[in-house]
Amino acid sequence: MKPMFRSMLAASALLALTGCAQQGLYDWGGYSGLMYQNYKKPESVAANLVTLQAHVTALEGRKTRVAPGLYADLGTLYLQAGDHNRALENYRKERAAWPESAGLMDAMIKNLANKTVEEKKA
Amino acid sequence: MKAILALLVALLVTGCAAPSTKTDLSAFQAAKPRSILVVPAVNKSLDVDAPNYLLTTLSVPLAEKGFYVFPVHTARTVLEQEGFYEGDAIHQQPPQALASLFGADAVLYVTINRWDAQYAVITTTVTVNFDYRMVAKDGTEIWKANKQMQYTPQNQNTGHPLANLIAAAVTAALTRADPNYLPLAVMANDQVFNTGVTAIPAGPYRAVN
Repeated sequence: MKPMFRSMLAASALLALTGCAQQGLYDWGGYSGLMYQNYKKPESVAANLVTLQAHVTALEGRKTRVAPGLYADLGTLYLQAGDHNRALENYRKERAAWPESAGLMDAMIKNLANKTVEEKKA
Repeated sequence: MKAILALLVALLVTGCAAPSTKTDLSAFQAAKPRSILVVPAVNKSLDVDAPNYLLTTLSVPLAEKGFYVFPVHTARTVLEQEGFYEGDAIHQQPPQALASLFGADAVLYVTINRWDAQYAVITTTVTVNFDYRMVAKDGTEIWKANKQMQYTPQNQNTGHPLANLIAAAVTAALTRADPNYLPLAVMANDQVFNTGVTAIPAGPYRAVN
């Protein structure tokens, strides 16, 4: 077989195999796997939080859209780690990035702001 | 050679054609959901961790399909704050109430019928079986599907009967000790949402226009 013909064949085989796979909309940075690890090995939550934050920071650096829910779940991981400020920051980012999240994010932000005020009073 | 080429061309041409017996998607199309709330699954399997593990596989396929998917970990936490720890209690709530609590256009309910590893002589078969159901914020059911996936690890043939037997037994024991359900769950999700006869229409972030 002539080399060019062979490469054409390989290319069309590749097309046939991958042609129907939709192109990804987002770079998830292993989000599903990290959340799975959080449930399977609770002792890995802190490390997974760092990994997810690094991924989101990298996307922001490249001005790439962060996938739906990533900011919010990052915020909830911060909330569960006791870091209310970073939780708030991420809930606000989710709300700004995704208008569909407004109802939930407003409730999370309001709830957290009230909590922070109560803590300051106490 | 020509035959191979013809086959490839045929694959290229027909590979993306829609399956012929499609599910009726008119209710889904009429509801036009932009956002989907995925709630924790009802668990009919004996593995108490199955709902949490399954939850981690559902965001990606739905978001890649073009929908806003509510953050599953956040949603689960909010539901717990409302006193809902189990899928059963959540699935019994009116969908309208859940949708309005989160501001969602649709709610995805999944029931785990099977999530198990069965040992038979010297093989272990890992099985998952899910019922999926999507309901619009007005309470109308807009889509449903069922999917079962199975996996039996295969062994390399060593050419030696006893060695084959031992290798098979070891693989089966290892699979049984720590079965990996996630790839099966991911495949099941992909088939019901994307590639199978029940494939859902694209959402607003995937739409062509």
